[in-house]
Amino acid sequence: MSSVLENLVNQPYQHGFVTDIESDTAPKGLNEDTIRFISAKKSEPEWLLEFRLKAYRHWLTMAEPQWPNVKYPKIDFQDIIYYSAPKPKKLASMDEVDPELLKTFEKLGVPMNERAKLAGVAVDVIFDSVSVATTYKQKLADVGIIFCSISEAVREHPDLVRQYMGSVVPAGDNYYAALNSAVFTDGSFCFIPRGVRCPMELSTYFRINTESSGQFERTLIVAEEGSHVSYLEGCTAPKFDTNQLHAAVVELITLDDAEIKYSTVQNWYAGDENGVGGIYNFVTKRGLCKGVNSKISWTQVETGSAITWKYPSCVLLGDNSIGEFYSVALTNHHQQADTGTKMVHIGRNTRSRIIAKGISAGQSNNSYRGLVKIGPRAANARNYSQCDSMLIGSKCGANTFPYIQVQNHGATVEHEASTSKIGEDQLFYFASRGIGAEEAVSMIINGFCRDVFQQLPMEFAVEATKLLGLKLEGSVG
Amino acid sequence: MVSVAAKHPYIEALLKGYEAPRSGASWLDERRAQALERANALTVPTTRDEEWRFTDITPLTRLSFRPAAETKPLALSGLSRFIAPEAGARLVFVDGVFAPGLSATTGLPRGVVVSTLAAALDAHAGAIEPHLARHAEFEREVFTALNTAHLRDGAFIRVGRNCACPAPVQLLHVSTQKEAAAYPRCLVIAEDGSDCTLIEDYAGLGDAAYFNDAVTEVVVGAGARVRHARVQREAAGAFHIATCAVTLARDARYASHAVTLGARLSRFNLIVTQQGEGAEVQMDGLALISGRQLADTHTLMDHAQPHGRCRQLHKCIAGGAAHAVFNGKILVRPGAQLTDSSQQSRNLLLSDKAHVDTKPQLEIFADDVKCAHGATVGQLDAEQLFYLRSRGLSEGRARNLLTYAFAAEVVDRIPVPSLVAQLEETVLAQTQAAEPA
Repeated sequence: MSSVLENLVNQPYQHGFVTDIESDTAPKGLNEDTIRFISAKKSEPEWLLEFRLKAYRHWLTMAEPQWPNVKYPKIDFQDIIYYSAPKPKKLASMDEVDPELLKTFEKLGVPMNERAKLAGVAVDVIFDSVSVATTYKQKLADVGIIFCSISEAVREHPDLVRQYMGSVVPAGDNYYAALNSAVFTDGSFCFIPRGVRCPMELSTYFRINTESSGQFERTLIVAEEGSHVSYLEGCTAPKFDTNQLHAAVVELITLDDAEIKYSTVQNWYAGDENGVGGIYNFVTKRGLCKGVNSKISWTQVETGSAITWKYPSCVLLGDNSIGEFYSVALTNHHQQADTGTKMVHIGRNTRSRIIAKGISAGQSNNSYRGLVKIGPRAANARNYSQCDSMLIGSKCGANTFPYIQVQNHGATVEHEASTSKIGEDQLFYFASRGIGAEEAVSMIINGFCRDVFQQLPMEFAVEATKLLGLKLEGSVG
Repeated sequence: MVSVAAKHPYIEALLKGYEAPRSGASWLDERRAQALERANALTVPTTRDEEWRFTDITPLTRLSFRPAAETKPLALSGLSRFIAPEAGARLVFVDGVFAPGLSATTGLPRGVVVSTLAAALDAHAGAIEPHLARHAEFEREVFTALNTAHLRDGAFIRVGRNCACPAPVQLLHVSTQKEAAAYPRCLVIAEDGSDCTLIEDYAGLGDAAYFNDAVTEVVVGAGARVRHARVQREAAGAFHIATCAVTLARDARYASHAVTLGARLSRFNLIVTQQGEGAEVQMDGLALISGRQLADTHTLMDHAQPHGRCRQLHKCIAGGAAHAVFNGKILVRPGAQLTDSSQQSRNLLLSDKAHVDTKPQLEIFADDVKCAHGATVGQLDAEQLFYLRSRGLSEGRARNLLTYAFAAEVVDRIPVPSLVAQLEETVLAQTQAAEPA
């Protein structure tokens, strides 16, 4: 059995390539000048520069967190390029997009020129740090939805950005959030006005391209009263031997009766089988259910990165609000993942649900770390958590660290966790039904992750299974 | 007099007037000296330390404690409610000092030794040396280091190879003085194939504020079986910090029944290390607290060898403005295949201000294992209450009955009938007291 599994988990990374495009790049290193350079490059207003500098000054006083269950050499923040943008060009239509870029997306399987076939998916493409092309903008604008890059939003809708940016993840929230607030270069901004149901799935592909340019994007999604949006984020990164830092911040805000569904498929380069190279993915994602009856749902499929360290969270402030978290984290070789969620119940009758599936193979280490906190005012709050781990091979590790803090006696919290492996008897059972080991493993893993995959939007489910398959052969799905 | 230069003023205060006890055994002097050095070097944990995140011991560090003074002898009749009649032997310590007049160590079966550590050091040095202060790690644990540095006397129980001790052995620690710090110590050696039951009881007379820093080491030999009932019913103003380190050899069986009722602030660390294949562990815990009490239980099940089996059930009932903390970790080390370990944390909140922090943890480094944990926090079931009320029970009685039933699952499994009866009464009395008027 072990040889079958080894073949399954040792597929080479298929997205490793470097696109040769002229970049407008800041010198390495971080200081106030770098921040002023970024701000000036993006012709930002004074308040945003202040926001950045304040975050930077706060960051200087903070210490790198030591508590996660991950190990990595100390990061030299002066050895990172904080700004790198493709040469600015005005694009009238898709045909004017740099053919090199288009090729990149082709290799990624993002059919730029076949958008129409992508069943209603508008893609706001982030290539390194500047938004290159935004499609379907008109169709969205017709219903009043703003979907653009953060830099554009700062120019076109400064009041909205100023009102909401940093309101969920304050600039000094944690070490990497502060760093991001100081140097973020681009990202997506999405605003769904009152009562609008977004007619299509919104999607962004992030890609790190220039070697050792840490990418610090910032995403801000605001759903006004009674609106609904489903947002998809997909990540792949080319193959480099030096580690790249990726510290993003994502903020979601739902007002009364609004709903945001945020799905991620993350497949940054994970390093080779000896653990050399790969992305450090240190991300702060948080949603605020500000209004009553609002809902935020996170779905993530984490298959890449040398180190994944993120906790998409929900702050359930409004009464009757709902938070959900569905996650599949797969680690192989020397990958490390410390991921999970935080559900902070503040309002009455708030509900949350956590389904986390961890698969560890090779010599990887996969941790689930979660917090369920029921505040003193959160009467009748309800939480259900389930986190299951699967181990493939005897050198990997699977850990769970669930924190449960309850300060209201009317709350009900349940947590379950289990650990299992693919048993010889299961494979034998499949074999006796005429199903080969490879297919059997894929079916078992698919079944294991089913609860999470079901949550992915149709357009993304296919890619999710495909990306998961990069690690455990293409037979998944 | 040993020079004391502690890093932390609180520890320095505790070590003030420290005199190294004289034992005559050089290995023990050495271990104490090491512990003292660690106590000097370590600092008092704060809520910034992951292991003490929910338990703020500032109230403890604000008070000053001195070593217990000479006590006037207690009458056995005054302690009758703490004494288990079925116990075959009994060691009583008053404020950390052995009270021979209250103890009973006669009529034990052959091969069973129950005595004080001080008395046993000569006769059983060969048995004690490899174990005393070897299992409870004091390198990083300041309270274990403090206890080990003060190690002068304690309880010693040794059950010889293939011997069975049919009646339980009771260790009773009674505290009477306020502002006294005591360092109870206990070593239990159950040799291969032996069988015994231990009752470890911490009781307070009155409601004084005192500090007990206890360490117990239990060594279970191959195929041996130990049942360990532990009751903490310290005085309402007391502080109780205890560590119990258990080491299991091949096919050993160990069952822990830990009940926490008293103390203003208590912390119990239970560390079970499976050093041989196929050991079987049962860990039961119950914390029943109210008022402004804080009860913290940390357990670690360390599966260092294959084929281990562990069943853990920890229950907390918190009323008033009490704060219950549970942190249970199951560690499956590389190579500990075919481990079967499960852990349940069940928490019942009886009032608005009570709160609970629970953290069941799995750390698994072997692939062929069965591990699971579960945690629940909730209140009494409204339907169950309704059912009982429809049968004519008052709201208060119905709540009592359900709370009692919640605790009974743990209490009923304690292998000492008199203790079960006593605890059942205590639970009932406590739940009635917790009832709002």
